[in-house]
Amino acid sequence: MITKKDVELAGKLANMHVSAEEAEIYEGQLRALFGWVKELSSVNTDGVKLTNVNLSAHLRKDEPVCDPALAQQVRSVFTEQEDDCAKVKKVL
Amino acid sequence: MMTIDQILTAITSGQKTAEQITREFLNVIAEKNPTINAFVEVFEADALAQAKAIDEKKARGEKLGPLAGVPVAIKDNILYKGHKATCCSKMLENYVASYTSTVVEKLIAADAVIIGRTNMDEFAMGSTNQTSVYGPVKNPADTTRVPGGSSGGSAAAVAAGMVPVALGTDTGGSVRQPAGFCGVVGIKPGYGRISRYGVIAFSSSADQVGVLAANVKDAAIALEVLSGKDVHDSTSLEAAVPSYTKDFTADLKNVKIGLPKGFLDGLGEDIKNKVTEAANALKARGAELIEVEVPYAKYSAPCYYIITSAEASSNLGRYDGIRYGYADKQAQGLKAYYENSRAPFGLEVKKRIIIGTYALTSERYEECFLKAMKVRELIRDDFKKVFSKVDVLLTPTSPTTAFKLGQQDENPLSMYLADLYTCQGNIGGLAGISVPFGKDGNGLPIGVQFYGPILAEDKILNVANQLEKSL
Repeated sequence: MITKKDVELAGKLANMHVSAEEAEIYEGQLRALFGWVKELSSVNTDGVKLTNVNLSAHLRKDEPVCDPALAQQVRSVFTEQEDDCAKVKKVL
Repeated sequence: MMTIDQILTAITSGQKTAEQITREFLNVIAEKNPTINAFVEVFEADALAQAKAIDEKKARGEKLGPLAGVPVAIKDNILYKGHKATCCSKMLENYVASYTSTVVEKLIAADAVIIGRTNMDEFAMGSTNQTSVYGPVKNPADTTRVPGGSSGGSAAAVAAGMVPVALGTDTGGSVRQPAGFCGVVGIKPGYGRISRYGVIAFSSSADQVGVLAANVKDAAIALEVLSGKDVHDSTSLEAAVPSYTKDFTADLKNVKIGLPKGFLDGLGEDIKNKVTEAANALKARGAELIEVEVPYAKYSAPCYYIITSAEASSNLGRYDGIRYGYADKQAQGLKAYYENSRAPFGLEVKKRIIIGTYALTSERYEECFLKAMKVRELIRDDFKKVFSKVDVLLTPTSPTTAFKLGQQDENPLSMYLADLYTCQGNIGGLAGISVPFGKDGNGLPIGVQFYGPILAEDKILNVANQLEKSL
Protein backbone atom coordinates (compact mmCIF):
# COMPACT_ATOMS: atom_id res chain seq x y z
CA MET A 1 0.00 0.00 0.00
CA ILE A 2 1.50 3.30 -1.09
CA THR A 3 1.62 5.99 1.58
CA LYS A 4 2.39 9.69 1.61
CA LYS A 5 5.78 8.74 2.99
CA ASP A 6 6.53 6.73 -0.18
CA VAL A 7 5.50 9.68 -2.31
CA GLU A 8 7.70 12.04 -0.32
CA LEU A 9 10.64 9.62 -0.47
CA ALA A 10 10.33 9.26 -4.25
CA GLY A 11 10.15 13.05 -4.54
CA LYS A 12 13.28 13.38 -2.42
CA LEU A 13 15.14 10.80 -4.54
CA ALA A 14 14.14 12.75 -7.65
CA ASN A 15 15.37 16.03 -6.10
CA MET A 16 11.85 17.46 -6.15
CA HIS A 17 9.96 19.13 -3.35
CA VAL A 18 6.56 17.55 -2.88
CA SER A 19 4.17 19.76 -0.93
CA ALA A 20 1.70 18.28 1.56
CA GLU A 21 -1.12 19.09 -0.85
CA GLU A 22 0.66 17.36 -3.75
CA ALA A 23 1.49 14.33 -1.59
CA GLU A 24 -2.22 14.06 -0.76
CA ILE A 25 -3.19 14.08 -4.46
CA TYR A 26 -0.41 11.76 -5.58
CA GLU A 27 -0.96 9.24 -2.79
CA GLY A 28 -4.44 8.32 -4.03
CA GLN A 29 -3.46 8.38 -7.69
CA LEU A 30 -0.34 6.28 -7.20
CA ARG A 31 -2.23 3.80 -5.04
CA ALA A 32 -4.77 3.31 -7.85
CA LEU A 33 -2.04 3.07 -10.47
CA PHE A 34 0.15 0.58 -8.63
CA GLY A 35 -2.95 -1.43 -7.69
CA TRP A 36 -3.62 -1.75 -11.39
CA VAL A 37 0.04 -2.52 -12.13
CA LYS A 38 -0.27 -5.46 -9.71
CA GLU A 39 -2.06 -7.27 -12.55
CA LEU A 40 1.41 -7.93 -13.90
CA SER A 41 2.24 -10.15 -10.94
CA SER A 42 -0.24 -12.74 -12.25
CA VAL A 43 1.87 -13.19 -15.40
CA ASN A 44 4.36 -16.04 -15.28
CA THR A 45 7.68 -14.57 -16.39
CA ASP A 46 9.89 -17.44 -15.22
CA GLY A 47 12.74 -17.91 -17.66
CA VAL A 48 11.96 -14.74 -19.61
CA LYS A 49 15.17 -13.08 -20.69
CA LEU A 50 15.43 -9.42 -21.57
CA THR A 51 16.46 -8.55 -25.10
CA ASN A 52 20.12 -7.71 -25.15
CA VAL A 53 21.25 -4.52 -26.77
CA ASN A 54 23.76 -5.22 -29.52
CA LEU A 55 26.57 -2.91 -28.40
CA SER A 56 28.80 -3.90 -31.30
CA ALA A 57 26.29 -2.31 -33.67
CA HIS A 58 26.71 1.06 -31.98
CA LEU A 59 29.05 3.67 -33.25
CA ARG A 60 32.05 4.17 -31.03
CA LYS A 61 34.89 6.60 -31.04
CA ASP A 62 38.15 6.44 -29.16
CA GLU A 63 38.55 9.13 -26.59
CA PRO A 64 42.12 8.81 -25.34
CA VAL A 65 43.34 11.01 -22.51
CA CYS A 66 45.08 13.75 -24.46
CA ASP A 67 47.28 15.00 -21.64
CA PRO A 68 47.96 12.44 -18.91
CA ALA A 69 50.10 14.95 -17.04
CA LEU A 70 47.18 17.37 -16.77
CA ALA A 71 44.90 14.59 -15.50
CA GLN A 72 47.47 13.77 -12.83
CA GLN A 73 47.81 17.45 -11.96
CA VAL A 74 44.04 17.77 -11.44
CA ARG A 75 43.95 14.62 -9.28
CA SER A 76 46.83 15.87 -7.17
CA VAL A 77 44.76 18.86 -6.00
CA PHE A 78 42.59 16.45 -4.01
CA THR A 79 44.34 15.16 -0.95
CA GLU A 80 42.01 12.21 -0.41
CA GLN A 81 41.49 9.70 -3.21
CA GLU A 82 39.81 6.34 -3.52
CA ASP A 83 39.57 4.04 -6.57
CA ASP A 84 40.98 6.78 -8.80
CA CYS A 85 38.23 9.14 -7.64
CA ALA A 86 38.67 12.31 -5.61
CA LYS A 87 36.96 12.34 -2.23
CA VAL A 88 35.04 15.52 -1.53
CA LYS A 89 33.00 16.78 1.37
CA LYS A 90 29.46 15.47 1.60
CA VAL A 91 27.07 18.20 0.48
CA LEU A 92 23.66 16.59 0.94
CA MET B 1 -7.01 22.20 -48.05
CA MET B 2 -4.37 21.55 -50.70
CA THR B 3 -2.70 18.14 -50.67
CA ILE B 4 1.06 17.73 -51.14
CA ASP B 5 0.49 16.72 -54.77
CA GLN B 6 -1.64 19.80 -55.40
CA ILE B 7 0.98 22.08 -53.83
CA LEU B 8 3.77 20.54 -55.91
CA THR B 9 1.71 20.78 -59.09
CA ALA B 10 0.78 24.40 -58.38
CA ILE B 11 4.41 25.37 -57.80
CA THR B 12 5.98 23.42 -60.65
CA SER B 13 3.34 24.57 -63.15
CA GLY B 14 3.82 28.18 -62.09
CA GLN B 15 0.17 28.46 -61.06
CA LYS B 16 1.27 29.61 -57.59
CA THR B 17 4.56 30.42 -55.88
CA ALA B 18 5.73 28.81 -52.68
CA GLU B 19 5.45 32.23 -51.06
CA GLN B 20 1.79 32.56 -52.09
CA ILE B 21 1.02 29.12 -50.70
CA THR B 22 2.83 29.87 -47.44
CA ARG B 23 0.91 33.15 -47.09
CA GLU B 24 -2.39 31.31 -47.68
CA PHE B 25 -1.66 28.89 -44.85
CA LEU B 26 -0.41 31.73 -42.61
CA ASN B 27 -3.77 33.43 -43.18
CA VAL B 28 -5.66 30.31 -42.12
CA ILE B 29 -3.49 30.10 -38.98
CA ALA B 30 -4.16 33.78 -38.19
CA GLU B 31 -7.88 33.20 -38.60
CA LYS B 32 -8.27 29.92 -36.71
CA ASN B 33 -5.48 29.69 -34.17
CA PRO B 34 -6.95 32.19 -31.68
CA THR B 35 -9.81 29.67 -31.19
CA ILE B 36 -8.02 26.35 -31.65
CA ASN B 37 -4.66 27.22 -29.95
CA ALA B 38 -2.83 24.61 -32.04
CA PHE B 39 0.27 26.74 -32.65
CA VAL B 40 2.33 28.15 -29.80
CA GLU B 41 4.57 30.04 -32.21
CA VAL B 42 4.40 30.79 -35.92
CA PHE B 43 7.74 31.25 -37.67
CA GLU B 44 6.27 33.73 -40.14
CA ALA B 45 9.43 35.56 -41.23
CA ASP B 46 11.53 32.38 -41.47
CA ALA B 47 8.77 30.50 -43.30
CA LEU B 48 8.38 33.26 -45.88
CA ALA B 49 12.16 33.43 -46.34
CA GLN B 50 12.25 29.66 -46.91
CA ALA B 51 9.37 29.89 -49.38
CA LYS B 52 11.12 32.68 -51.32
CA ALA B 53 14.30 30.59 -51.44
CA ILE B 54 12.30 27.73 -52.97
CA ASP B 55 10.83 30.08 -55.57
CA GLU B 56 14.35 31.30 -56.40
CA LYS B 57 15.53 27.71 -56.69
CA LYS B 58 12.76 27.01 -59.16
CA ALA B 59 13.59 30.19 -61.09
CA ARG B 60 17.18 28.97 -61.41
CA GLY B 61 15.87 25.77 -62.95
CA GLU B 62 17.08 23.57 -60.09
CA LYS B 63 15.28 20.36 -59.16
CA LEU B 64 12.84 20.82 -56.28
CA GLY B 65 12.55 18.45 -53.34
CA PRO B 66 9.60 16.12 -52.70
CA LEU B 67 8.03 18.55 -50.22
CA ALA B 68 8.76 21.75 -52.15
CA GLY B 69 6.73 24.59 -50.68
CA VAL B 70 4.75 22.35 -48.34
CA PRO B 71 4.21 24.07 -44.99
CA VAL B 72 5.00 21.68 -42.12
CA ALA B 73 4.40 22.30 -38.42
CA ILE B 74 6.65 20.73 -35.78
CA LYS B 75 5.69 19.67 -32.29
CA ASP B 76 7.23 21.79 -29.55
CA ASN B 77 9.64 19.02 -28.48
CA ILE B 78 11.52 18.90 -31.80
CA LEU B 79 14.64 21.04 -32.13
CA TYR B 80 15.08 23.64 -34.84
CA LYS B 81 18.22 25.71 -34.38
CA GLY B 82 17.63 29.27 -33.23
CA HIS B 83 13.98 28.59 -32.37
CA LYS B 84 12.38 27.91 -29.03
CA ALA B 85 11.56 24.31 -28.08
CA THR B 86 9.77 24.33 -24.75
CA CYS B 87 7.89 21.01 -24.53
CA CYS B 88 5.06 23.37 -23.54
CA SER B 89 6.58 23.49 -20.07
CA LYS B 90 7.50 26.39 -17.83
CA MET B 91 10.72 24.46 -17.20
CA LEU B 92 11.95 25.19 -20.74
CA GLU B 93 10.12 28.47 -21.39
CA ASN B 94 13.32 30.24 -22.51
CA TYR B 95 15.11 27.31 -24.15
CA VAL B 96 16.34 28.00 -27.67
CA ALA B 97 17.60 25.03 -29.70
CA SER B 98 21.34 25.10 -30.31
CA TYR B 99 21.13 22.58 -33.16
CA THR B 100 18.57 21.20 -35.59
CA SER B 101 17.03 17.75 -35.27
CA THR B 102 17.57 15.24 -38.05
CA VAL B 103 13.85 15.23 -38.93
CA VAL B 104 13.80 19.00 -39.44
CA GLU B 105 17.07 18.80 -41.41
CA LYS B 106 15.40 16.25 -43.68
CA LEU B 107 12.29 18.39 -44.13
CA ILE B 108 14.41 21.41 -45.06
CA ALA B 109 16.48 19.29 -47.46
CA ALA B 110 13.19 18.22 -49.09
CA ASP B 111 12.30 21.94 -49.54
CA ALA B 112 9.49 21.94 -46.97
CA VAL B 113 8.62 25.20 -45.21
CA ILE B 114 8.83 24.99 -41.41
CA ILE B 115 5.88 27.15 -40.43
CA GLY B 116 5.75 26.95 -36.64
CA ARG B 117 5.74 24.90 -33.49
CA THR B 118 2.62 23.26 -32.15
CA ASN B 119 1.03 22.87 -28.75
CA MET B 120 1.35 19.60 -26.81
CA ASP B 121 0.88 18.08 -23.39
CA GLU B 122 3.78 19.11 -21.15
CA PHE B 123 6.80 16.95 -22.00
CA ALA B 124 4.46 14.78 -24.13
CA MET B 125 2.81 13.35 -21.00
CA GLY B 126 -0.92 13.23 -21.51
CA SER B 127 -3.75 12.24 -23.83
CA THR B 128 -5.74 15.47 -23.87
CA ASN B 129 -3.38 18.40 -24.47
CA GLN B 130 -4.63 19.93 -21.23
CA THR B 131 -1.28 19.91 -19.42
CA SER B 132 0.36 22.50 -21.71
CA VAL B 133 1.65 25.70 -20.12
CA TYR B 134 0.17 27.49 -23.16
CA GLY B 135 -3.34 26.29 -22.34
CA PRO B 136 -5.44 23.55 -23.91
CA VAL B 137 -5.96 22.93 -27.61
CA LYS B 138 -9.55 22.77 -28.84
CA ASN B 139 -10.72 20.03 -31.18
CA PRO B 140 -11.67 21.60 -34.54
CA ALA B 141 -14.52 19.07 -34.85
CA ASP B 142 -16.06 20.44 -31.63
CA THR B 143 -14.27 23.19 -29.73
CA THR B 144 -15.77 22.09 -26.41
CA ARG B 145 -13.77 18.87 -26.67
CA VAL B 146 -10.13 17.86 -26.39
CA PRO B 147 -8.07 17.12 -29.51
CA GLY B 148 -6.33 14.19 -27.82
CA GLY B 149 -2.66 14.23 -26.99
CA SER B 150 0.09 14.62 -26.58
CA SER B 151 0.48 15.85 -30.18
CA GLY B 152 -2.90 17.59 -29.95
CA GLY B 153 -1.66 20.82 -31.50
CA SER B 154 -0.25 19.03 -34.56
CA ALA B 155 -3.46 17.01 -35.08
CA ALA B 156 -5.72 20.06 -34.62
CA ALA B 157 -3.56 22.16 -36.96
CA VAL B 158 -4.01 19.60 -39.76
CA ALA B 159 -7.71 19.07 -39.01
CA ALA B 160 -8.38 22.83 -39.10
CA GLY B 161 -6.59 23.18 -42.44
CA MET B 162 -3.84 25.37 -40.94
CA VAL B 163 -1.16 23.09 -42.35
CA PRO B 164 -1.18 20.02 -44.63
CA VAL B 165 1.42 18.08 -42.63
CA ALA B 166 2.65 18.22 -39.05
CA LEU B 167 5.19 16.27 -37.04
CA GLY B 168 4.30 14.75 -33.71
CA THR B 169 5.93 12.28 -31.37
CA ASP B 170 4.35 9.07 -30.17
CA THR B 171 5.37 7.36 -26.93
CA GLY B 172 2.06 5.64 -26.12
CA GLY B 173 -0.22 6.82 -28.91
CA SER B 174 0.48 10.54 -28.97
CA VAL B 175 0.27 10.75 -32.76
CA ARG B 176 -2.44 8.17 -33.45
CA GLN B 177 -4.89 9.01 -30.64
CA PRO B 178 -5.14 12.77 -31.48
CA ALA B 179 -5.31 11.83 -35.16
CA GLY B 180 -8.32 9.64 -34.35
CA PHE B 181 -9.96 12.34 -32.18
CA CYS B 182 -9.48 15.08 -34.79
CA GLY B 183 -10.27 13.04 -37.91
CA VAL B 184 -6.86 13.07 -39.60
CA VAL B 185 -4.29 10.42 -40.49
CA GLY B 186 -1.51 9.75 -37.96
CA ILE B 187 1.35 7.31 -38.45
CA LYS B 188 3.92 6.16 -35.93
CA PRO B 189 6.57 4.12 -37.69
CA GLY B 190 8.22 1.12 -36.07
CA TYR B 191 10.93 1.81 -33.52
CA GLY B 192 14.12 2.95 -35.25
CA ARG B 193 12.58 3.92 -38.59
CA ILE B 194 12.98 7.66 -37.98
CA SER B 195 15.88 9.29 -36.15
CA ARG B 196 15.18 10.72 -32.72
CA TYR B 197 18.26 12.95 -32.81
CA GLY B 198 17.19 16.39 -31.63
CA VAL B 199 13.88 15.22 -30.20
CA ILE B 200 13.56 15.99 -26.50
CA ALA B 201 13.46 12.61 -24.76
CA PHE B 202 10.59 11.34 -22.63
CA SER B 203 10.95 7.56 -22.80
CA SER B 204 13.85 6.48 -24.98
CA SER B 205 12.67 2.92 -25.63
CA ALA B 206 9.21 4.05 -26.76
CA ASP B 207 9.51 7.56 -28.25
CA GLN B 208 9.11 7.82 -32.02
CA VAL B 209 8.55 10.73 -34.37
CA GLY B 210 5.35 10.41 -36.38
CA VAL B 211 3.45 12.24 -39.11
CA LEU B 212 -0.02 13.78 -39.06
CA ALA B 213 -1.60 14.56 -42.42
CA ALA B 214 -4.97 15.10 -44.04
CA ASN B 215 -4.79 11.86 -46.04
CA VAL B 216 -2.81 8.62 -46.26
CA LYS B 217 -0.86 9.59 -49.38
CA ASP B 218 0.44 12.80 -47.80
CA ALA B 219 1.45 10.88 -44.68
CA ALA B 220 3.29 8.36 -46.89
CA ILE B 221 5.17 11.06 -48.81
CA ALA B 222 6.29 12.78 -45.60
CA LEU B 223 7.23 9.49 -43.93
CA GLU B 224 9.44 8.58 -46.86
CA VAL B 225 11.32 11.88 -46.51
CA LEU B 226 11.83 11.39 -42.77
CA SER B 227 12.79 7.69 -42.65
CA GLY B 228 16.23 6.14 -42.68
CA LYS B 229 19.42 5.50 -40.75
CA ASP B 230 21.02 8.43 -38.96
CA VAL B 231 24.57 8.29 -37.63
CA HIS B 232 23.49 10.58 -34.78
CA ASP B 233 20.95 8.04 -33.46
CA SER B 234 22.32 4.57 -32.82
CA THR B 235 18.79 3.21 -32.41
CA SER B 236 17.85 4.17 -35.97
CA LEU B 237 17.72 1.21 -38.31
CA GLU B 238 20.01 0.48 -41.21
CA ALA B 239 17.35 -0.47 -43.76
CA ALA B 240 16.38 0.77 -47.19
CA VAL B 241 13.38 3.10 -47.33
CA PRO B 242 10.78 1.96 -49.85
CA SER B 243 8.77 4.30 -52.02
CA TYR B 244 5.62 4.07 -49.94
CA THR B 245 3.20 5.61 -52.42
CA LYS B 246 4.54 3.59 -55.36
CA ASP B 247 3.91 0.45 -53.32
CA PHE B 248 0.17 1.17 -53.05
CA THR B 249 -1.66 -1.74 -54.66
CA ALA B 250 -4.91 -1.70 -56.62
CA ASP B 251 -6.65 -4.07 -54.22
CA LEU B 252 -5.97 -6.19 -51.13
CA LYS B 253 -5.77 -9.64 -52.70
CA ASN B 254 -3.28 -11.82 -50.77
CA VAL B 255 -3.38 -9.44 -47.78
CA LYS B 256 -4.20 -11.09 -44.45
CA ILE B 257 -5.72 -8.85 -41.81
CA GLY B 258 -5.76 -10.04 -38.20
CA LEU B 259 -8.62 -9.23 -35.87
CA PRO B 260 -7.50 -9.75 -32.26
CA LYS B 261 -9.91 -11.97 -30.36
CA GLY B 262 -12.13 -10.01 -27.98
CA PHE B 263 -10.73 -6.67 -29.08
CA LEU B 264 -14.17 -5.09 -29.40
CA ASP B 265 -15.38 -6.23 -25.96
CA GLY B 266 -16.66 -3.40 -23.80
CA LEU B 267 -16.60 -0.79 -26.54
CA GLY B 268 -19.48 1.56 -27.33
CA GLU B 269 -21.72 0.66 -30.27
CA ASP B 270 -20.52 3.50 -32.54
CA ILE B 271 -16.88 2.46 -32.44
CA LYS B 272 -17.65 -1.25 -32.52
CA ASN B 273 -19.82 -0.79 -35.61
CA LYS B 274 -17.27 1.35 -37.41
CA VAL B 275 -14.41 -1.11 -36.84
CA THR B 276 -16.62 -3.97 -38.06
CA GLU B 277 -17.60 -1.88 -41.06
CA ALA B 278 -13.92 -1.17 -41.78
CA ALA B 279 -13.11 -4.90 -41.63
CA ASN B 280 -15.92 -5.65 -44.08
CA ALA B 281 -14.80 -2.85 -46.43
CA LEU B 282 -11.30 -4.36 -46.52
CA LYS B 283 -12.73 -7.82 -47.12
CA ALA B 284 -14.69 -6.42 -50.06
CA ARG B 285 -11.38 -5.20 -51.48
CA GLY B 286 -9.93 -8.71 -51.39
CA ALA B 287 -8.37 -8.98 -47.94
CA GLU B 288 -8.68 -12.15 -45.90
CA LEU B 289 -9.86 -11.58 -42.31
CA ILE B 290 -8.39 -13.89 -39.69
CA GLU B 291 -9.13 -13.95 -35.97
CA VAL B 292 -5.90 -14.01 -33.97
CA GLU B 293 -4.97 -14.27 -30.30
CA VAL B 294 -2.67 -11.76 -28.63
CA PRO B 295 -3.03 -12.92 -25.01
CA TYR B 296 -0.42 -10.69 -23.38
CA ALA B 297 -1.37 -7.47 -25.20
CA LYS B 298 -3.88 -6.65 -22.45
CA TYR B 299 -0.92 -6.00 -20.13
CA SER B 300 0.52 -3.33 -22.42
CA ALA B 301 -0.97 -0.37 -20.55
CA PRO B 302 0.44 -1.18 -17.06
CA CYS B 303 3.80 -2.10 -18.66
CA TYR B 304 3.74 1.15 -20.55
CA TYR B 305 3.16 3.29 -17.46
CA ILE B 306 5.91 1.65 -15.46
CA ILE B 307 8.56 1.53 -18.19
CA THR B 308 7.95 4.98 -19.65
CA SER B 309 7.72 6.62 -16.21
CA ALA B 310 10.97 4.95 -15.15
CA GLU B 311 12.69 6.17 -18.31
CA ALA B 312 11.17 9.62 -17.84
CA SER B 313 12.50 9.84 -14.29
CA SER B 314 15.97 9.28 -15.75
CA ASN B 315 15.60 11.45 -18.88
CA LEU B 316 14.10 14.37 -16.98
CA GLY B 317 16.90 14.28 -14.43
CA ARG B 318 18.78 16.65 -16.73
CA TYR B 319 16.43 19.51 -15.82
CA ASP B 320 18.29 20.42 -12.67
CA GLY B 321 19.19 24.06 -13.21
CA ILE B 322 22.74 23.08 -14.10
CA ARG B 323 22.49 21.15 -17.32
CA TYR B 324 19.11 22.29 -18.63
CA GLY B 325 16.00 24.16 -17.58
CA TYR B 326 15.11 26.84 -15.07
CA ALA B 327 17.78 27.70 -12.50
CA ASP B 328 16.97 29.27 -9.15
CA LYS B 329 20.13 31.30 -8.65
CA GLN B 330 18.88 32.74 -5.35
CA ALA B 331 18.60 29.32 -3.68
CA GLN B 332 20.57 28.78 -0.49
CA GLY B 333 22.46 25.49 -0.61
CA LEU B 334 22.62 22.67 -3.13
CA LYS B 335 19.47 20.82 -1.99
CA ALA B 336 17.38 23.98 -2.28
CA TYR B 337 19.03 24.76 -5.62
CA TYR B 338 17.97 21.41 -7.09
CA GLU B 339 14.49 21.39 -5.59
CA ASN B 340 13.68 24.99 -6.52
CA SER B 341 15.10 24.57 -10.02
CA ARG B 342 12.90 21.50 -10.59
CA ALA B 343 9.79 23.20 -9.19
CA PRO B 344 8.44 24.45 -12.57
CA PHE B 345 7.42 20.92 -13.62
CA GLY B 346 3.64 20.61 -13.84
CA LEU B 347 1.59 18.17 -11.73
CA GLU B 348 1.41 15.38 -14.35
CA VAL B 349 5.13 15.48 -15.16
CA LYS B 350 6.04 15.51 -11.50
CA LYS B 351 3.72 12.58 -10.90
CA ARG B 352 5.29 10.49 -13.66
CA ILE B 353 8.78 11.23 -12.33
CA ILE B 354 7.60 10.11 -8.90
CA ILE B 355 6.02 6.95 -10.35
CA GLY B 356 9.23 6.14 -12.22
CA THR B 357 11.48 6.88 -9.28
CA TYR B 358 9.33 4.75 -6.99
CA ALA B 359 9.29 1.86 -9.48
CA LEU B 360 13.08 1.98 -9.63
CA THR B 361 13.71 1.97 -5.86
CA SER B 362 15.53 -1.14 -4.67
CA GLU B 363 12.38 -2.29 -2.83
CA ARG B 364 10.14 -2.05 -5.92
CA TYR B 365 12.59 -2.64 -8.79
CA GLU B 366 11.96 -6.37 -9.24
CA GLU B 367 8.20 -6.43 -8.73
CA CYS B 368 7.57 -3.29 -10.81
CA PHE B 369 10.23 -2.33 -13.33
CA LEU B 370 11.85 -5.70 -13.99
CA LYS B 371 8.45 -7.42 -14.09
CA ALA B 372 7.15 -4.88 -16.62
CA MET B 373 10.25 -5.35 -18.76
CA LYS B 374 9.77 -9.12 -18.76
CA VAL B 375 6.07 -8.90 -19.59
CA ARG B 376 7.06 -6.56 -22.42
CA GLU B 377 9.16 -9.40 -23.86
CA LEU B 378 6.10 -11.68 -23.77
CA ILE B 379 4.02 -9.02 -25.53
CA ARG B 380 6.68 -8.69 -28.21
CA ASP B 381 6.74 -12.47 -28.67
CA ASP B 382 2.94 -12.39 -29.02
CA PHE B 383 3.17 -9.90 -31.86
CA LYS B 384 6.00 -11.81 -33.55
CA LYS B 385 3.84 -14.93 -33.62
CA VAL B 386 0.80 -13.01 -34.89
CA PHE B 387 2.74 -11.36 -37.70
CA SER B 388 3.93 -14.74 -38.90
CA LYS B 389 0.28 -15.45 -39.68
CA VAL B 390 -1.12 -12.08 -40.83
CA ASP B 391 0.22 -8.96 -42.55
CA VAL B 392 -1.49 -6.33 -40.44
CA LEU B 393 -3.75 -6.10 -37.41
CA LEU B 394 -6.92 -4.04 -37.23
CA THR B 395 -8.04 -2.39 -33.97
CA PRO B 396 -9.88 0.75 -32.91
CA THR B 397 -7.52 3.69 -32.32
CA SER B 398 -9.17 4.64 -29.02
CA PRO B 399 -11.93 3.22 -26.82
CA THR B 400 -13.88 6.50 -27.11
CA THR B 401 -14.21 9.53 -29.34
CA ALA B 402 -13.02 12.96 -28.12
CA PHE B 403 -14.30 13.80 -24.66
CA LYS B 404 -15.22 17.17 -23.19
CA LEU B 405 -12.44 19.45 -22.00
CA GLY B 406 -11.81 18.68 -18.32
CA GLN B 407 -14.14 15.66 -18.33
CA GLN B 408 -11.65 13.02 -17.22
CA ASP B 409 -9.27 15.21 -15.21
CA GLU B 410 -10.34 13.72 -11.88
CA ASN B 411 -9.85 10.15 -12.98
CA PRO B 412 -6.28 9.65 -14.20
CA LEU B 413 -6.68 5.88 -14.49
CA SER B 414 -9.45 6.21 -17.07
CA MET B 415 -7.26 8.77 -18.82
CA TYR B 416 -4.46 6.22 -18.98
CA LEU B 417 -6.87 3.66 -20.44
CA ALA B 418 -7.44 6.04 -23.36
CA ASP B 419 -4.06 4.75 -24.57
CA LEU B 420 -5.16 1.11 -24.33
CA TYR B 421 -5.05 0.30 -28.04
CA THR B 422 -2.18 2.59 -28.97
CA CYS B 423 0.44 1.88 -26.30
CA GLN B 424 0.64 -1.74 -27.51
CA GLY B 425 2.45 -0.39 -30.55
CA ASN B 426 5.10 1.35 -28.47
CA ILE B 427 5.58 -1.54 -26.10
CA GLY B 428 5.89 -3.87 -29.10
CA GLY B 429 7.95 -1.42 -31.21
CA LEU B 430 5.36 -1.83 -33.99
CA ALA B 431 4.40 0.41 -36.87
CA GLY B 432 0.91 1.84 -36.39
CA ILE B 433 -1.42 4.14 -38.28
CA SER B 434 -4.76 5.71 -37.41
CA VAL B 435 -7.14 6.47 -40.27
CA PRO B 436 -10.40 8.43 -39.91
CA PHE B 437 -13.38 6.22 -40.66
CA GLY B 438 -16.69 7.94 -40.14
CA LYS B 439 -18.23 9.63 -37.13
CA ASP B 440 -20.15 8.76 -33.98
CA GLY B 441 -23.68 9.87 -33.06
CA ASN B 442 -22.34 13.26 -31.91
CA GLY B 443 -20.59 13.88 -35.22
CA LEU B 444 -17.16 13.22 -33.72
CA PRO B 445 -14.47 11.50 -35.79
CA ILE B 446 -13.71 7.81 -35.22
CA GLY B 447 -10.27 6.42 -35.99
CA VAL B 448 -9.38 2.86 -36.85
CA GLN B 449 -5.85 1.60 -36.45
CA PHE B 450 -3.61 -0.79 -38.34
CA TYR B 451 -0.51 -2.37 -36.88
CA GLY B 452 2.36 -3.96 -38.74
CA PRO B 453 5.69 -5.38 -37.60
CA ILE B 454 8.84 -3.32 -37.54
CA LEU B 455 9.76 -1.96 -41.02
CA ALA B 456 6.30 -2.80 -42.38
CA GLU B 457 5.15 0.80 -42.74
CA ASP B 458 4.51 0.07 -46.44
CA LYS B 459 1.96 -2.61 -45.52
CA ILE B 460 -0.05 -0.50 -43.07
CA LEU B 461 0.01 2.50 -45.40
CA ASN B 462 -1.25 0.36 -48.27
CA VAL B 463 -4.16 -1.06 -46.24
CA ALA B 464 -4.95 2.38 -44.81
CA ASN B 465 -5.00 3.81 -48.32
CA GLN B 466 -7.49 1.16 -49.40
CA LEU B 467 -9.72 1.87 -46.41
CA GLU B 468 -9.62 5.59 -47.15
CA LYS B 469 -10.68 4.87 -50.73
CA SER B 470 -13.63 2.84 -49.51
CA LEU B 471 -15.17 5.85 -47.78
